[in-house]
Amino acid sequence: MPLTRINVGPVHPSTHGVLHFVVDMDGDTIRHIETHVGFLHRGVEKLCETRMYMQIPSYTEKFDYLAPLAWDDLYVNTVEKVLGLEVKETAKYARMILLEFQRIASHLVFLGTLCNDLGQMFTMFMWSFRERDSILRFLEDVTGGRMFYVNIRLTGLNRKLPDDFKEHAHALADSLETKIKGYKEIMESNPIFVERTKGVGRITSKQAVEYGVSGHALRASGIEYDIRKSNPYYKYSEMKFKVCTETAGDAFARYKVRYNEIFESISIIRQALDAMPDDNNVEGMPIKLISPQAKPDIIVNNSEMPRGEGIIYLVPDKQRPYRIYFRSGTYTNAAVLEHICEGIKYADLFTILGSMDLVAADIDK
Amino acid sequence: MIQTEIQRKALARTLNETKSKGFSYLKFITAVDYPDHVQVIYMFANLQTAETLNLELKLHKTDDDLWIDSIVKEFPSANWYERELSEMFGIKVMGRSAKRLLLENWNGTEYPLRKEFVWGNEYKKVE
Repeated sequence: MPLTRINVGPVHPSTHGVLHFVVDMDGDTIRHIETHVGFLHRGVEKLCETRMYMQIPSYTEKFDYLAPLAWDDLYVNTVEKVLGLEVKETAKYARMILLEFQRIASHLVFLGTLCNDLGQMFTMFMWSFRERDSILRFLEDVTGGRMFYVNIRLTGLNRKLPDDFKEHAHALADSLETKIKGYKEIMESNPIFVERTKGVGRITSKQAVEYGVSGHALRASGIEYDIRKSNPYYKYSEMKFKVCTETAGDAFARYKVRYNEIFESISIIRQALDAMPDDNNVEGMPIKLISPQAKPDIIVNNSEMPRGEGIIYLVPDKQRPYRIYFRSGTYTNAAVLEHICEGIKYADLFTILGSMDLVAADIDK
Repeated sequence: MIQTEIQRKALARTLNETKSKGFSYLKFITAVDYPDHVQVIYMFANLQTAETLNLELKLHKTDDDLWIDSIVKEFPSANWYERELSEMFGIKVMGRSAKRLLLENWNGTEYPLRKEFVWGNEYKKVE
């Protein structure tokens, strides 16, 4: 029987940017799939070669617009290493707290949109966005921005933390914990959700390593790899948390990993709040075009972002990057789709897409 | 981070050694355009020990030397990185079955991440 060719996209079927699949189908079974990316390619790596170091964070933030702080922080931290600057002690804790809140906000979008993709319309979506909104409001209080913060500065943050930072953060962590605990029932006791995710889009641990999947997808395939644990930055080595893993490697396992990670993040936030000094000494260096001169060493820096491991490879010039390379977790997670989507049913494509949680802007850059 | 410079001829052998040492996870492949050569960087990780290994390959900037062997057979995850290299740096990747580039509409006569490619006039202005 001849195969039917269907174009999925270029508008991403679950709205995270622009992504195009050409799917060859036999009945409703996918025989071959081709992923087309590049619709959102802005040439940021080239652009960065023409900008001074501290002009760049506003570009890096826009890679992953659901977790802008993650790239913001990784980039500035890389520049700190290039310039040989030490992050202020209190700022290390403050950054960790903000990053973990950002991770929860990003995971909540994942939960909401995954359920929407699977036909469990709007209940989870509205709930998770309600909780996300409380985090965004908190971040707005602290940083001054609602969606894009650009608040990480060399050695610290852009301004002092608000006076009620700790109380507000504790209260938010408590309310998130109670509310998100309630999600479990609506997700896992829903037969549609469970049947459409269990056993779908399976990636074995061998495949996961071979195809280089990253972040929650790697951990869902049974590989315990989290940069916060294996290569800790800031104060993560002092925090007690476990790396959430699952062994099944399917869409349900990926959901489970993300869901459990939220509670680990809450626990990290509480520990960091308790350990954080009270001096509020977090203000970093104001942005100046001419920064201290860079050391000539090449820096490779990585961090655990909500969507997998982010890596920056930076060859410094004196005042601007000579070459900078950004590798995001989404990039490799998008590349794996061509391998795992052969032989699945058409409807499962959206489960897999939802569970990989791609952001197209983060793939292309 | 372990850093090693390798020869192009020795790439296949080095990769097998790399794998047998447990560096089975390819983190990325990228390149840097230096004034006198193009350097290709392969970054591997050992997921058990969290060590990383950095292999560097120097290529001369002449048309007949700007090529590398594909490592897709050993590391399937290299696919997209190799596509990006050939599109952004004009490095030919030998032994690939898929010829499709990553960004597709690029005409392929200029390579954006090479230093000959100048971004508007702004680079000169800042200078």
